[in-house]
Amino acid sequence: VHIPDGYLSPATCGTFGVAMVPVWVTAGRRVRKVVRSRYVPLVALGAAYSFLVMMFNVPIPDGTTAHAVGAVLVACVLGPWAAVVAVSIALLIQALFFGDGGVLAFAANAWNMAFVMPMVGYATYRLLARHVSLTSPRRAVAAGVGGYVGLNAAALCAAVEFGLQPTLFHSANGTPLYAPFHLSQTIPAMMLAHLTIAGLVELALTAGVVAYLQRANLPLLRINHAAVPVHDGDVAPTRPFGWRWAFVGLGVMAVLTPLGLLAPGGAFGEDAPAKLDLRRYHLGAVPDGLARYAGFWHHALFDGYGFSHDRHPALGYLVSAFVGIAAIAVTVALVAGVVRLARVRRRDVESVPV
Amino acid sequence: VTATATPDWLTRPELGLCPCGCIGRRRKGSFVEKTMTGAAGVLRAAMLSDDTATGPGLLQRVDARVKVLALLASLVTAGLVHHVAVLAAMYVVTLALAVASRLSLTFFVKRVWLFVPIFTGVVVLPATLNLVTPGHVVVPLGTWFGQPVGVTAQGLTSAGLIVTRVATSISLVVLVTLTTSWSRLLAALRALFVPRVFVAVLGMSYRYLFHLLDAVTDMYTARKARTVTRDRDVASSRRYVAASAGALFGKAQALSEEVHFAMLARGYTGDARTISNTRLRVRDMVFALAVLAALIVTIGGDRVLVR
Repeated sequence: VHIPDGYLSPATCGTFGVAMVPVWVTAGRRVRKVVRSRYVPLVALGAAYSFLVMMFNVPIPDGTTAHAVGAVLVACVLGPWAAVVAVSIALLIQALFFGDGGVLAFAANAWNMAFVMPMVGYATYRLLARHVSLTSPRRAVAAGVGGYVGLNAAALCAAVEFGLQPTLFHSANGTPLYAPFHLSQTIPAMMLAHLTIAGLVELALTAGVVAYLQRANLPLLRINHAAVPVHDGDVAPTRPFGWRWAFVGLGVMAVLTPLGLLAPGGAFGEDAPAKLDLRRYHLGAVPDGLARYAGFWHHALFDGYGFSHDRHPALGYLVSAFVGIAAIAVTVALVAGVVRLARVRRRDVESVPV
Repeated sequence: VTATATPDWLTRPELGLCPCGCIGRRRKGSFVEKTMTGAAGVLRAAMLSDDTATGPGLLQRVDARVKVLALLASLVTAGLVHHVAVLAAMYVVTLALAVASRLSLTFFVKRVWLFVPIFTGVVVLPATLNLVTPGHVVVPLGTWFGQPVGVTAQGLTSAGLIVTRVATSISLVVLVTLTTSWSRLLAALRALFVPRVFVAVLGMSYRYLFHLLDAVTDMYTARKARTVTRDRDVASSRRYVAASAGALFGKAQALSEEVHFAMLARGYTGDARTISNTRLRVRDMVFALAVLAALIVTIGGDRVLVR
């Protein structure tokens, strides 16, 4: 995903430079607070390691090899903010000394591979490795999936950066000035390569290294997982699923429903017969059955998710959302009650001595 | 040829692919040998720039701070230029600077033109078609699903722009890295805008990079020595790669602890020091003014061509 100079406009590079400054400042501060005077050697060796990890050729089944980026691996072992600094420095050395990735495009590359990738990958890893001991195989798999997701997030960022160039920067006669491909071409091209080969290589390396450290060098994993118990037996029993968060999520979605008013067009197959563009399907008239059954039900409480003749459309959406949720909740509660009743009956029947 | 010159077999250029391996054709071959080749490549590049940075030449004599600023300004200029002819002229100027700095012209040209066809050629050729870049079709190539397909003038211009711009940008960066020693470059970064602690980390990681590179080469040489037939088992090879990467991490971490203690023993308090910069000389000023004037002329010429 290394973007060389010349593909992105100077304005794009400048934007990413401005965006990366707060990230680097935060990362530097967070890492420094944790490791204090050890900061310089630890991060320096982390950066050297990030550089070298990109050099490891991982064999893949077709007989060729591919490289991994390793940003999520560094994030799993040293923590995500240390990974931001370490991978940024590795990228800078590559750009300044070895000509891999551009100097102007450094901030854009850092955004993709040193910020988005470790952050997204580490969040995935944390989510999948919750309540799992340090030596559990699930932790290695979680790290691998984190690597896969992180690399694909980075590739998507790069694809969007490339794909915006012809739209934003072109001359008067339509000549693209920088990368020539549009979003509809860059995203499939980049994602196909990364969802299949590169992502799986990243997955294999990240999971493999974490599994190796679990076997051979557990203290290294402890650096970033001080509070995680080593064996499965010591893991605190998982708390029941947080219903509170489910309700919060539902509430947020209900509050956001009026966003539907902003959306142009309609969903396919939801139009009233009169609004259908039947010419497109070579039809001269609305089919008989469609016309008869389209207006079958006229007694909807909130017709078209609104009331009072569309005078307060946003309010109508909100009320519809909450009434809908309440109706579904009542239905689910009723069904659950019936199921429970049936179970109790059956248990009573089974427990009767013959 | 001096005694410190880099051996010839080390400077043989390899195709400069994206290190993440997502672009370009992948060659078949043993992962062990490829990793060792990669390690030798890193070492080769570093040795080469050590050789050339101390040589006699025009750019070697210019202050590193001036060179870094000139590089950034030139890269931005190359980004702002909208004409293939102007970019080509800029590229010719980088060639002249390479000759004036006594760099091997064949290496300098190959470094760019082995990279450009792979990365840019593969990417840019489809972009000349009207499927990607709509516009005035100059070379019709028949029809595809009933739509006429052909190479457009806009697509050709765009391809030319990308190729010349990438070539110029890479040449500019290579010019600076081949004529500036790493310690001077670090000092320049600190003097310009980069925070001191960041520069300290950068310097230390570059230094220990080669130490860890040795460890990688050792591991893979040992693996190669133990391997009699070709590695066919992909799964076990992959396990070996993961184990060697994990072992390398252990080494890096242990080394960082030792380095930390060594720093503390020498009175390290968390404040980094780097080479202090000397004052700018007259010739640095002259060089800076010349670059500035050249860039203004470039931008001006480009704007004149627009009309």
